[in-house]
Amino acid sequence: MSELNVAKSGYMLSNKPDYPREPSWPNFVWIVFLSMLLVTVVLWGISAIFDAPLEEVAAWAKTPNPAKAPWYFIGLQELLVYFDPWIAGVLLPTQIIIGLVLIPYVDISPAEQGKYSFSKRKFAVVYFSFGLFLWFLLIAIGQWFRGPSWEFYWPVIDYPIGGESWTYPNVPLKVSEAQTVNVPNAIGWPILFIFFGGGMVAPYIVARFHQASALCARLKDYLDRIGLVRYLLIQVHVLLTLSVAGKMILRLVFGYKYIVTTPFFNI
Amino acid sequence: MAETPSEHGKQQEPGLLSKIVRLLTDNDIYRSFFRTGYPDTLLKRMAVMRSSFVMHILPTKVGTHGLKLGYTWCMGGITFFLFLMLTLTGVILMFYYVPEESRAFTDMKDLKFMVPYGMILRNMHRWAAHAMVFSVIVHMARVFYTGSYKAPRQFNWVVGVLLLTLTLLLSFTGYLLPWDQLGFWAVTVGTNMASATPFIGFEGPFSEFLGVRIDNDIRFAIIGGTRIGANALIRAYVWHCVALPLIASALMVFHFWRVRKDGFSGPL
Repeated sequence: MSELNVAKSGYMLSNKPDYPREPSWPNFVWIVFLSMLLVTVVLWGISAIFDAPLEEVAAWAKTPNPAKAPWYFIGLQELLVYFDPWIAGVLLPTQIIIGLVLIPYVDISPAEQGKYSFSKRKFAVVYFSFGLFLWFLLIAIGQWFRGPSWEFYWPVIDYPIGGESWTYPNVPLKVSEAQTVNVPNAIGWPILFIFFGGGMVAPYIVARFHQASALCARLKDYLDRIGLVRYLLIQVHVLLTLSVAGKMILRLVFGYKYIVTTPFFNI
Repeated sequence: MAETPSEHGKQQEPGLLSKIVRLLTDNDIYRSFFRTGYPDTLLKRMAVMRSSFVMHILPTKVGTHGLKLGYTWCMGGITFFLFLMLTLTGVILMFYYVPEESRAFTDMKDLKFMVPYGMILRNMHRWAAHAMVFSVIVHMARVFYTGSYKAPRQFNWVVGVLLLTLTLLLSFTGYLLPWDQLGFWAVTVGTNMASATPFIGFEGPFSEFLGVRIDNDIRFAIIGGTRIGANALIRAYVWHCVALPLIASALMVFHFWRVRKDGFSGPL
C-alpha cells in the first residue's frame, strides 16, 4: 500500500495499490487494438458522410451576424451576455482552470477511490456535476438559442431547425427585446457583500450549532478536517459558480444587467 | 489463438490454429522482428510487453478491474489515439496547405476538388479534433467520478488539466487555418476577449494606467496586429502545427509515465 511505503522510506518508492492483476497480453492489448479499430472505422464513416464546414473566403467587410466561437468556447461567448468581457473572457476561464487544478489538493478524503460512488462524496460529485452542467448549458444556449445580435431565439418557434436563416420568410429579425435595467449601487453592493461575505462565514456559523443538530455536527467535523486554507479555496469557487448561475437567472428571467456599476468595471 | 499458460506443456495434438500460429511465428524472420517469441506462456506474455518498444507503453500486468469498459470507457486511450490520428492527417494536410492569406482558402478548395481523397482527409482531421475535445472532457469526468485524482495521482490530474487547455488551444488555432468566414470570425470573437484582460488588454479595466493601447496589448501580441490578418494566420499555423503539439507531446509523455508508475487507480 502506498501509505506504508511512504511512511517507511520517506519518499515514494512504489505506490502501486494492491489489487488483482493479470498479464496485459492478451486482454488489455486486445481492448486497445479493438478500440483503435473502432475509432478509426467510426471516424472514417462520419468523414465519408459529413463534410467539414467551409464557408466563404474570410472578409473583413462582411461581418456575419451572429459571429460565433467554436462550440467549446461558445460557453465563454455566452458568458459575455452576463458579465463584462474581462470577467467572462479572462477571469472566469482562469478561475475554472485554477479550480480544476485545485481539486485533488482540496479533496483530501481518501475514501472511495477507483470506483464510481456517490454516497461518501456527495458534495464533490454534486458540485462538479453542477459545474459541468452549467458549462454545457452555456454551450447549448450559445449554440442553439442565440441568433442575430445575440438575441434569444427559440428553435422551431423563431427559426426553422436546419434552415440557413434565423427567421421564417417575411418575418423580420428580432429587434432587441432585452429590456434590461441595472440594480442601483446602493442595493447592489450590499447584495454582493452579503452573498460573498455571508457565504464565506455561513458554514462556520452553522457549524457552531454542532451540539444541536447532527447535520451541523457533521459540517463541523468536515470543516475541522479540511482546515481553513482548503475551506477558503473551496468556498470561493462554490460562491463564484453559484454567482454565475444566479447572474444568469437575474438576466434571463428578471432582466437585470449589472448588480454594481463603477467607472472601471461593472459586475 | 495459442494455448493458455495452464495448458502449455500438456501432451496433446495441436489444433489447426496453433499450427498456423506456429508456422507464422516460429521462424527466423518473425524472431528478427520481435524480441520474444509468440507470447504463449505467462513468462513470454510478461516479456512481450516489457521488451517491445511499442508495447512497453502498457504495463506488463494490469488491474483486472481496470479492464472493465464501464470503468474507463477507454477515453484516455481514445484521446491519445485521436491525437495520433490528428498528427497523421495533419502532416498530410500540411503537404497541401500554405498559410498565406491569398492561398489558404484556395488550398481548401483544392483539397475538395483537386486532391485525391482530400476532402475525407480534411473531414477526418476536423471530426477527430471535435471528438478529441469531447473525449478529453469525458476522460476528465471519468477520472473525477472515480476519485482517481486522489493521492498519489494529484499531480497527474494537474498535468491533465494542462493537456485539456492545450487541446482547446490546438482546436482553436486550427479553426483559423481554412481562412473562411466561419474560422475568421470565430477567432476574431475569441481573440477579442483577450483585449479585455485587466491591465494588459487595451479594453480591459485599469489598462490606461500602464499605457496599454490597441497596438501594444496582449491581443496584439497574440495575433501580431490590430486585427486578424496575415500575421495571425502564420502565428496560428506555427502554434497549431509545431509549438502546441510539441508541448502537448511532452506533457503526454509525462502523463503516461505517471499513469504507469502509479498504476490504475484501484480500491485502497
